Amino acid sequence: MTKIIQAEESNAQEIKKVLHPLVSEWFFSKFNELSLTQKYGVMNIWKRRNILISAETGGTKTLTAFLSILNYLVILAEKNELKNKVYAVYSSPLKALSSDIRKNLVEPLHDIEGLAEKKGIKLQKIRIALRTGDTTAYEKTKMLKNPPHILITTPESLAIILTSKNFIENLKEVEFCVVDEIHSLDNKRGAYLSITLERLNEISTSWPVKIGLSATIEPMAEVARFLVGISDDREVSIAKINLEKKIDIQVLSPVKNVVEDEGLHIKMYDLISKLVQEHKTTLIFTNTRSATERVVNFLKERYPTVYGDENIAAHHSSLSKQHRYDIEERLRQGKLKVVVCSTSLELGIDIGFIDLVIMLGSPKSSSRALQRLGRAGHQLHSMAKGRFIILDRDDLVECSVIQKEMVERKINKIRFPRNCLDVLSQQIFGMAIYKIWKEQELFNVIRKSYCYSDLTRSDFLDVISYLSGEYALEKNHIYAKIWYDKETKEIGKKGKMARVLYLTNIGTIPEESFIKVKVAGTEEVVGMIDESFLSRMRAGDVFVLGGKKYLNRYTRGMNLYVASEVRKNPTIPSWFSEMLPLSFDSAVEIDHFRTLMKKKLKSNQPKKQTLEFISSYLYVPSETAEAIYNYFLEQHSFLEIPDENTVIVEKFTDNDKKYLLFHTLYGRRVNDALSRAIGYMIGALGGRDIQVGISDNGFFLSGENMIITRALSELKEKNLEKYLKEAIDRTDVLARRFRHCATRALMILRNYKGVRRTVGKQQMKSHFLLAAVKKISNEFPILKEARREIFEDLMDVENAKLVLHWIEQGKVKIKMVETPIPSPFALNLILQGHSDLIRIEDKQAFLRRMHQLHMQNVIKRGKIDG
Amino acid sequence: MAEQKYEFIGKCLFFPVEGILVIGDLHIGYEEALIESGILVPEMQVKDVIEDLRKIIKKIQDEKHSIKKIVFLGDVKHMFSWEYIEKKNFNKILEFLNEYVKEKDIVIIKGNHDTSELGLPLKNYYIENDIAFLHGHVSYPGAFDKKINFVVSGHLHPSVTLAENPGVKKESYKCFLQGKSKGKTFIVVPSFVNFYEGIPVNEYKDDFWEDFSIIPRKDILNFKVYVIGEDKVYEFGKVGELN
Repeated sequence: MTKIIQAEESNAQEIKKVLHPLVSEWFFSKFNELSLTQKYGVMNIWKRRNILISAETGGTKTLTAFLSILNYLVILAEKNELKNKVYAVYSSPLKALSSDIRKNLVEPLHDIEGLAEKKGIKLQKIRIALRTGDTTAYEKTKMLKNPPHILITTPESLAIILTSKNFIENLKEVEFCVVDEIHSLDNKRGAYLSITLERLNEISTSWPVKIGLSATIEPMAEVARFLVGISDDREVSIAKINLEKKIDIQVLSPVKNVVEDEGLHIKMYDLISKLVQEHKTTLIFTNTRSATERVVNFLKERYPTVYGDENIAAHHSSLSKQHRYDIEERLRQGKLKVVVCSTSLELGIDIGFIDLVIMLGSPKSSSRALQRLGRAGHQLHSMAKGRFIILDRDDLVECSVIQKEMVERKINKIRFPRNCLDVLSQQIFGMAIYKIWKEQELFNVIRKSYCYSDLTRSDFLDVISYLSGEYALEKNHIYAKIWYDKETKEIGKKGKMARVLYLTNIGTIPEESFIKVKVAGTEEVVGMIDESFLSRMRAGDVFVLGGKKYLNRYTRGMNLYVASEVRKNPTIPSWFSEMLPLSFDSAVEIDHFRTLMKKKLKSNQPKKQTLEFISSYLYVPSETAEAIYNYFLEQHSFLEIPDENTVIVEKFTDNDKKYLLFHTLYGRRVNDALSRAIGYMIGALGGRDIQVGISDNGFFLSGENMIITRALSELKEKNLEKYLKEAIDRTDVLARRFRHCATRALMILRNYKGVRRTVGKQQMKSHFLLAAVKKISNEFPILKEARREIFEDLMDVENAKLVLHWIEQGKVKIKMVETPIPSPFALNLILQGHSDLIRIEDKQAFLRRMHQLHMQNVIKRGKIDG
Repeated sequence: MAEQKYEFIGKCLFFPVEGILVIGDLHIGYEEALIESGILVPEMQVKDVIEDLRKIIKKIQDEKHSIKKIVFLGDVKHMFSWEYIEKKNFNKILEFLNEYVKEKDIVIIKGNHDTSELGLPLKNYYIENDIAFLHGHVSYPGAFDKKINFVVSGHLHPSVTLAENPGVKKESYKCFLQGKSKGKTFIVVPSFVNFYEGIPVNEYKDDFWEDFSIIPRKDILNFKVYVIGEDKVYEFGKVGELN
C-alpha cells in the first residue's frame, strides 16, 4: 500500500536558499512573504517528493507548483542545460485555463526573463505550450519538433498524447506532473485520469513527481493515493493548509413565516435584488439550469430599469462555450453586476472580484458550500461573504446545519468511482494503440491506478473479450477494436483508423440532448427539456417549465410543440434528475440535530432555552431559530420527530391511494436505493407496480397492495443488491445510464466514419443496443458497468447497506404510524410527487389488465356492436 | 362453422382458405443503418427473423393449415439502395422459407424503401381471389377492382401505447388495424422488426397523415385495433376511441 506522510512546513530561510536569485528577486518584488502553501509546497517539490496540497480558494496553490518548477528550469536555463524535452506536465480539468495560467505561469516567466535581460544574465528560452482539444495540427507538429518544457493540458488531451509514438519520446523524462483541481475529479473523469497517470508512469524512464492541488477536501489520504497510485514502493506527503480564513455567512428567509406567507416567491426576488444592490458584484448559485434562467428572467421582468442584458447574465452548462466564455470575461472586467449560475462557476477559474455569493436553496454539502463561498473575496485573507436564501422549511433546517458545518470546518468526504468498466475499455483501447502489450503487463499497469487497484482479473478479461469482438455474435467484428492472442497472451490495436476513432470519441462526460419546446403555431421557443423527460410524456400531458404550465401537443424531430394557457393541473411530475443530492455526512448531521431537538421538546424546557440552544448550536439569528423551532414543534405536536435512532413510517390513504411514507434522512442517493429495494419487494409480494417519490429527507411508496411488514423483514444488508438489480432492470434510468456507458466504452460512437452524429437520434435508437446486449449476456461488461454506476455513483448502496446494518443491529428502529394526513415533515415530500415507477407487472400482464378495463368500459357504455 | 377469412398469427396475418401467409415490413438492414449512425449493434436480425418465422409457421401447421404462398408487404429492406449485405441476409431468409414454399410462390411487394432492384421480381400489388396486397404508400387502381373485398397493407407500422395514470406507466405494443375505407375492408399489418413496436396510432399527429398513407385519416379513426399479445390478440375498439 502507498505510504502517506504528513508534510512538514519549511521556514522561509530554507526556501530562499534553494530559490535561484532571479526567481527569488522576482518573487519578493511581487509578494512580501512566502504564503503558508508555499512553505509547505516549495521545499517538498524541490526535494522531489510527491505531495498533495489542499487549501481554500485563493491559497496560491497553482503559483506554488509553478514557482517550484520554474525555479528548477531557470537554474538549468542559466547553466545552459535545458534539454529539448518536456520537464513538467500540468493537467487541469477546466476548459478555461488561460487566465489562470497567464497569471501564475506566463507572467512570472516573462518577468523573470525581463529581470535576467536587465542584469545581462543569459537564459535559455523556457517554452510553455497549451495542448487541448482545440490545438491545431500545425501547433501539434511544432510541439513535436520543439517540445514545450512545460506542457499545459487537460486529462483527455494528455491521454491522447500518450497514444502518439512520436510525442511519447518527448515525455519519457517528465520530472513533474501537476494535477490541479483534484477535488472536482470524484467522477469518471477522475477514474480516467487515474489510468492516464499510470500510462505516464509506464512510459517514463524515471518517476515523474506528482503534485496534486485541491480545494479543501477529505479524506486527504485517499485523495493522495489517487494522485500517486497504489504500490508498496510509492509514498506521498499531504499538506492541509488551514488559512483560518474568516467567513461571513448567514441563512436568510425572504419572509417571516415560511408556511403561511404566499408571497414567498415575490419576496425572494425582492430580497435578492436588495442584496445585489448593496454589493458591487454578486454571484448567485441556483443548483439547476432551469432555476438559473428563471431567476434572470424574473429579475429582468420585475425590475426592468435595474436589470438588463448589460448587467445580468445566466451561466450554465447548456449554454454554448463562446457564450459562457463571454460572460466570464465580462465578469472579470467587472462589467456585470450579477451572474446567476447553476453549479458551473463553482470551479476555480478566476472570475475576478466578487463581493457576495448568494446560495439559493441548499448547496447540499458543506464542501460544495465552502467552494461556492470561496468565489467571493477571491484574495488571500479577505473575508468571504455568503448568504443562503431558503426556499422552504426543510431548506431552512438544511442550510442552517450546513452553515454550522462550514463554520466548524466539517468537510464531507468525497469518493472516486472504482472499477468503471466503460472507462477501462476506452483506456485499454488507447493503450493498445501505442504498443503491443502482454496481458499481465497491461493488467499490472492498470491495477496500480487508484481507481482500479482491486480490479478483478475476470472483469479485466471480460473487457478484453468485449474489445476484441468475442462477444459479438455472427462474427461481424464490429466491436473488435483490439486483437487478443490467447496463445502468446498479447494485445494490440486493430484497424488503421484506431487512433482517429480514439481521439475523436475520447471522453467521459455524457452528452445529453435537449428538446426545444415551442408553442405550436408560433414557433416561439419557451425553453428546453431533457430528452429523457420527453420520453415519459404523451400527447395531452401537462407539464411545468420555467414556472408555467404547458400542454404537450406533438413532437417533431428535436422539437416539442405545446399549447400554453393551460388550465389543467400537471399530469407529469417535475423532473429532478438534475437535482443535487444531499451528502450523507450532512444528512447524518441534520439527523443528529433532530435528535437533539426531540429531546429538548420532550423535556418541556422553556421555549426561550430551546431557542437559545438553536441559535448557539446552528449559529443563526433569533428569527431563524424561531422559524426552526416552530417547524419542529409542529411535527412534535402532530406526530413525533423522526431522528437518528427512529425511522418513522407514516401510513395514510389519499383518494383511495395507499401511501407509505418513510422518514429516512440519509440523502437522496441512499433513499433512492432503499426506496427501490423496499418498493420492489412490496410490489413483488402484491403483484402490482409501485410508485416511488424520493427526496433527501425520505421517500414514499404508493400502490394497491402494500405488504410492508414482510417486505421490511426480508430486506437485509446482504441481499440489498440482489433485489436492487431486479428493481432497476426495466427502468428508464438503466436505459439512460447504459447509453452513457456504451458511449464511453465506444459501442456508440459520436464520431464515426468522419461524421459527427447527433446525440438525439442516437438516444432514440440506443434501446436496440440495450436489447441486443441483454440477449448476448446479462453480465455483459458494459451493462454491468451501467448497473455499477447506478448503485455506486447515482445511488449510494454502500451507505444504504450501512443503514440496513443499523436497523438489523437495533441501533435504528422502524416505527409504523397511521396518520390521517401527512405530518408537517412529510409535506414537501408528498408535494413534489412521484419520481418513478417500479415495474413489477410485466408487459403481458399489463396488456391483459388494460384489455379487461377496456372491456368493462365497453360494457358500461353499452356499446358492444359486435 | 365457416372457415374464418383471416387469422392473426403472432405479428403475421394468415388467410387459411388461400393458404397465404402475410409478412409485414421487414426492414432488413436496419442494423447496418444503426452501425452507420455510430451505434454498434451486434447483428442478430436474420437469426431473429428466421426464429420468429419458424414459430409462426409451426403454429399454422399445428392448426392443420397448409401454407401455399407467402406475401411480403414491402419494405423488406431498410436502406434505400440495396447493399450487398442486405441482399445476402434477405437471401438467407428466402432460403429458409423455401423449405416450406416454392420460390415462385413467394410474392414480394414493392415498398417505398425498395427503390432499387433486388434481383427478384417486385410487384406493385398482388391479387388473389378477393384479396389485394399492397404496401400502402401509393394506390393502384387494379388493387381496388370491383371484385376485391379485402385490402392488406403494411407501411404504417401500427402500434398502440397503453397508459395508466398518464406519465406513470406507458407501454407500447404492435397491433393490426382493421376497418372500412374506399368501400373495402382494410387490414394493416404491423412491422416485423424486433425491439421496435412501431408508430403509435393513438398518438398520430394532426398533420402527420396526408401524403404518407393511402388510407384517409378520418377512416383510420374508425379502424379497429387488435393488439398482439404473447398468447393471443386483444381487441381494443376503435383507434379514435382509444384513450
